Amino acid sequence: MTTDELEQLLAQQPVAVLHRLARGRVQRHFRAGKRRLIELLLQHSSQNRAGFESDLLTLIGERQAGPTSGSPRRHEAPPIAHKKAAIRSSESEPSDPPVSLTEWLQGLGVPAPQPFVQDPWQIEALAAVSETDVVISVPTGSGKTYVAIEAARRAMEENRSVIYTSPLKALSNTKYAEFSKIFGPDKVGILTGDRQENGQAPLLVMTTEILRNLLYDAASGEIDVRLDTLGLVILDESQYLADPERGVVWEETIIFCPSQARLLLLSASIGNPQDIADWLTSIRSTPCRLVRHSKRTVPLRAGYLHPNGKLTPLFRTLGIPQGHPGHLHPEAKHLFMEYEEETLPSGRPRR
Amino acid sequence: MPPSIHPVDLISALRQKHLTPAIVFLTSRRACDEAMEAFDHANCVLPTTRQEAIAKALEQVMARHPSIAEHPLISIVQRIGVAAHHAGHLPTWKIAIEELMRQGHLDAVFATTTLAAGVDFPARTVVITQSSIRKSRDFTDLTAGEVQQIAGRAGRRGKDHVGFAVITPSPYIDLSVLTKGLTGQPEAIDSQFTISYPMVLNLLKAHPHEHIQGILAKSFAQFQLNQRAEVLEQKLDALHIKMEPFGPRVCTDWITQWHTFDHARRHRHTRHPTYRAEPPEISARLPFLTPGRVVGFSRGRGIVLRQYRSKGQRNSMLTVLRPESAVTECPVTSVKEVYDRTYDCPETSAYPWCSTDTFDRLSHQLEELPLRLPLLPILVSSNNEPLPDAIVQSLEDFSCPTCPSRSACQKDFLTASRLRQEQQRHTKSIQALRTSLWHRFQERVEVLQTFGYLTLTTQLTAEGEWARLIRIDHSLLITELIRAEAFTGADPSLLAGILASLAHDDDRPGAFPRISPGLSSLLGQVRKLAESLSPYEDPPLLRADVAALVERWVADQTLTWIGLCRLTTMAEGDIYRLLARTLEYLSQVQTLKGTHAGLAESASQAITAIRRGVLEELP
Ligand SMILES: Nc1ncnc2c1ncn2[C@@H]1O[C@H](COP(=O)(O)OP(=O)(O)OP(=O)(O)O)[C@@H](O)[C@H]1O
Ligand SMILES: [Mg+2]
Repeated sequence: MTTDELEQLLAQQPVAVLHRLARGRVQRHFRAGKRRLIELLLQHSSQNRAGFESDLLTLIGERQAGPTSGSPRRHEAPPIAHKKAAIRSSESEPSDPPVSLTEWLQGLGVPAPQPFVQDPWQIEALAAVSETDVVISVPTGSGKTYVAIEAARRAMEENRSVIYTSPLKALSNTKYAEFSKIFGPDKVGILTGDRQENGQAPLLVMTTEILRNLLYDAASGEIDVRLDTLGLVILDESQYLADPERGVVWEETIIFCPSQARLLLLSASIGNPQDIADWLTSIRSTPCRLVRHSKRTVPLRAGYLHPNGKLTPLFRTLGIPQGHPGHLHPEAKHLFMEYEEETLPSGRPRR
Repeated sequence: MPPSIHPVDLISALRQKHLTPAIVFLTSRRACDEAMEAFDHANCVLPTTRQEAIAKALEQVMARHPSIAEHPLISIVQRIGVAAHHAGHLPTWKIAIEELMRQGHLDAVFATTTLAAGVDFPARTVVITQSSIRKSRDFTDLTAGEVQQIAGRAGRRGKDHVGFAVITPSPYIDLSVLTKGLTGQPEAIDSQFTISYPMVLNLLKAHPHEHIQGILAKSFAQFQLNQRAEVLEQKLDALHIKMEPFGPRVCTDWITQWHTFDHARRHRHTRHPTYRAEPPEISARLPFLTPGRVVGFSRGRGIVLRQYRSKGQRNSMLTVLRPESAVTECPVTSVKEVYDRTYDCPETSAYPWCSTDTFDRLSHQLEELPLRLPLLPILVSSNNEPLPDAIVQSLEDFSCPTCPSRSACQKDFLTASRLRQEQQRHTKSIQALRTSLWHRFQERVEVLQTFGYLTLTTQLTAEGEWARLIRIDHSLLITELIRAEAFTGADPSLLAGILASLAHDDDRPGAFPRISPGLSSLLGQVRKLAESLSPYEDPPLLRADVAALVERWVADQTLTWIGLCRLTTMAEGDIYRLLARTLEYLSQVQTLKGTHAGLAESASQAITAIRRGVLEELP
């Protein structure tokens, strides 16, 4: 694009686009009229022409794509219009016949033993964590522990130490036992408030509060665990970030985590993992990588068991109908209504 | 029909359909325990080979954790292959059950929903019986994230082709909470960042005051606040664009200029100051009821020709042009709506208060008005300060009356000033969003200065230097107690007892064992101090029963675990957790050895005394 072309293109844009483009580039841009704004933008574009042009084209693209895609990108929850559509469509039931109990129970059983093959997301996460911070948001039971173990192994092979934290002491104890079995008891230690077992080991298990305290001590210069060789910090169950009382501890830990150590955040599915990754990117030295998916490895089916012992599928479909809470199996619906009739004291408004 | 399925029937149904092993999530520990009792005389026993396998596996766990040997549930676990797993149990018991489950020996575990996140075992099937969860005394509906965390336990990788989440109802279940949770998106994480006293002290220990704002800016809280601020900034940008047509005229800031002029003019016209008679919602309207303004009455509309106030009349009055060129006088209170529409209407000094031309034009315009008119948003503020006399006097100084853009200003003023108000509001909110954390930090700093932990230049004082090592809840209370020498000379058991009364995480009181006079008087002192600190820190729920319990455990080294459990109605899992948390608190006090040698020594003795029996088994 020549400067003339650029100027022309700018002139064709509504002022709103120019202002959005000017944000972060031109100070007090909102004071300027359109002509002046174009002048200022052109002046500025000389510093990073390519970036400027690509931003401009994106903005134009967004406008053409319609108003919704132009809205701020961070909200990952489906837009309201979409939700409404989901509810509406749940009212009109699909015409396929509902699954039968036999179909629903089919496939139940133990799969034949298979050689261990890493999942693609595990490979992706492991490759990323050797270079940068990683946030993993995948459903329960997907195999996050495997990533934690492999990442820890690699860090230790490079003579870097590893800290693994969990929110609960019980979980820490289980992981301590598990890791000791894998790496050998001399390689793994556990720290609690009043106790250290093998506190000089390269892989230390502790609760997040204990790590936070360590980081405070390190910041003020007094420290009994060496943090300069720290290569990896694993925060398991990091959806605890949202815990009303303890969430702040995760934030403190992440803020004060030494910059040479990689952060690995493991969490069950959360609504806004991109936000967490963007946050890490904004405060850490390398851009954070988000690894996410919401598909369960072992498929899940939902059923309804009536107090009289009768079992039926809960939904019309074999799997769980994502986004369609209303697609209930007619039999489950019927039985549950009957249940409510019988258990609700008369006169109590039904929810 | 029973209100919910009987546990024995539930297990038979699951077994019959090959849906075991299963985790059955129940609402309360009580429900889990009752389910276990239901199996007492049940005849759904396992074949002997499986019973033997369980016995063998149990033996192995017992070798590591002897405390489970006498657990009352052992026989049910062995005979029937079902177990309960909840916070009322010892951690060693839970470890044993988790281990048995992982090895595939059990058919079902009855657990509480509260535990879903901390359970480290999956199953083929998860049974859900409730849609709400007890959170600090109240029942709240499960979130989508929680439903998925619970249901997600179903289906073991490598051991199951499919996992099953089975809902079986119990009274007050709300099925839609569960179906929505199963089919929906998990909730977004919202920052819960708070600024505590130890955080302030530790930050100021390591960083100069001027760096703190930058550090707080790294929090997820600030990240999310910035996101909100960005949304507002976009709105602000849009407002700036809307403001463009109202840019500088003859005056650079004509809006303020016109506002002052208009205000002054009105004040000279009304002899009686407006603040006298009317309620605020009426007086807020007065400035807008100027000649040319369209207003609505309970019947029809009109255009204001003048506003006046005559002696003896309580309300300000209006002369209004009504349809068909009628002119009426009415009190302002009879105006029902004020519309966002004005016409040019230069005043004259006699009836009908405008020129004939204007009158005819207005009559015509009134007939032509569209059916729908936008209402004028009017801010009602209680302090409608009258202008200082000086301004009123200098009305002649205004150039407005003769200015060429007078009519434009008069016409645009309300829209422009509303836009500008909105701009100012957004700007303020943005600023608040960007700086709120910093302000909260400053508030904490001030408190710490008042108490002498920080100097006026925000350096840590000698007191602050040690106080920063206490990084637990109620830190201010604990450090103030230490400064008040409440613990001086107190023996380890007393210290442990007091810390236990702060450390417990449970609001269900237990039975009272005998409480020693020393502990009782010290608790009184703690309570008093906590009350006096309540403006700065939420007072704890001081539980004397747990204090007495821990005091006994520390003081009486011959007391066995069983003996301790008999002293109270608390479940042993709760006693264990209480002692574990007390250990955490004690270990923080123990770090004060540099400045409070005696106290630290007392804490470390208490730690050694607590760590015995069951409490020795886990790190
Ligand atoms: N690539 C794989 N192939 C087969 N099995 C795997 C694979 N990765 C992990 N697993 C197995 O999956 C099971 C569940 O893994 P894991 O406990 O790590 O889940 P998780 O993601 O941490 O879930 P949670 O949210 O419950 O903590 C384990 O038994 C593990 O051995
Ligand atoms: Mg896990």
